[in-house]
Amino acid sequence: MSRQSNRTTDSKKMNSELFTLTYGALVTQLCKDYENDEEVNKQLDKMGYNIGVRLIEDFLARSSIGRCQDFRETADVIAKVAFKMYLGVTPSVTNWSPAGDEFSLILENNPLVDFVELPDNHNTLIYSNLLCGVLRGALEMVKSTLF
Amino acid sequence: MSRQSNRTTDSKKMNSELFTLTYGALVTQLCKDYENDEEVNKQLDKMGYNIGVRLIEDFLARSSIGRCQDFRETADVIAKVAFKMYLGVTPSVTNWSPAGDEFSLILENNPLVDFVELPDNHNTLIYSNLLCGVLRGALEMVQMAVDVRFVQDTLRGDNVTEIRMKFIKRIEENLPAGDE
Repeated sequence: MSRQSNRTTDSKKMNSELFTLTYGALVTQLCKDYENDEEVNKQLDKMGYNIGVRLIEDFLARSSIGRCQDFRETADVIAKVAFKMYLGVTPSVTNWSPAGDEFSLILENNPLVDFVELPDNHNTLIYSNLLCGVLRGALEMVKSTLF
Repeated sequence: MSRQSNRTTDSKKMNSELFTLTYGALVTQLCKDYENDEEVNKQLDKMGYNIGVRLIEDFLARSSIGRCQDFRETADVIAKVAFKMYLGVTPSVTNWSPAGDEFSLILENNPLVDFVELPDNHNTLIYSNLLCGVLRGALEMVQMAVDVRFVQDTLRGDNVTEIRMKFIKRIEENLPAGDE
C-alpha cells in the first residue's frame, strides 16, 4: 500500500509510547499467525527490510548526509543520526573488529521493549528483530552489503 | 506481553516515519490474516482498545492533567495534549452537537497514512481504525464510555480526516480494570 508521498521536510515529532505499543500489537499478531519463534523472527526481519528500503529515502532527504566514506562513518551516522531521528535514542558504537568490518551498537534503552516482558514460551523470539531488517534494507539501498 | 514498566518521566521523542511504516506493516499483516475489510477494521479497533487502556496511564503520568470537568475539556485535552504527544499533530475540535455530547476531531495531517494508498480491493478498510480503539480504551479507563468512528478519511478521497466522538455515559468506578 506504499507510495511516494509528497513529503514536506518538516516531520512530526512524537513520543515513543504509541509506537512501542503498536509494535507490540504487531509482534503479538505475528505470534498468533506463525507456529514458532523462528518464523516470527523471519517475518519481522522481512517486514523490517521492506520498511528499511523506504525509510532510507526519507532519511537521506531529511538528514542531508552525503555518501559515507567508510564503514566507520556509516556506523556513526546510524547511531547518532538515524537512531536518534527515528527512535529517539543514541546507541554507542563499540567492539570494532580488527578488520574494521564489524561493530556493535549498544542500546541502553530500547524503546520497542518499554512495556514488554517475554512469556516463557517465547525463549527464542527476537522481539525487536524488525530493526535488523530495517538496517539491512536501508543500507542495501545505499549499496552496502551486510550480513 | 505487557507489564508495568519502571517508567521514567522523560520520554524519547522520535520522528513519525518509522511508526508510520510499522503501522503499515501491521495493517498489511491483518489484511493477509482476515478475509475482509470488516474483520480487519474490527481487529484494528480491538488492538487499539488494548493499547488505549495502557496508554492512558502513561498519558496521565506525563501530562499531569487532572480530571476533566466536562466533555468539552476532554475534547481539548485529547486534541491539544494527547494527539500532540503521541502523534505529533494537533487536530481541531469542531462540529459540536447541540447537546454538547458529540464532536469531531479534524486532522489535516494523519501521520499514519503518510506513505499510504489504499489498493482498489480495500474500499471499506478503515486504515487508521486503531486510533478509534485507542481513544475508546483510554477514555473507558477514565470512566467515560464513548463511541468513536471515522467519518472522513483522506485515504478515501476526502479532503480531511474526521473522527467523530460521542459521549455515551459515565462508567461507574468499581474494581480496577485491566489484566495486571
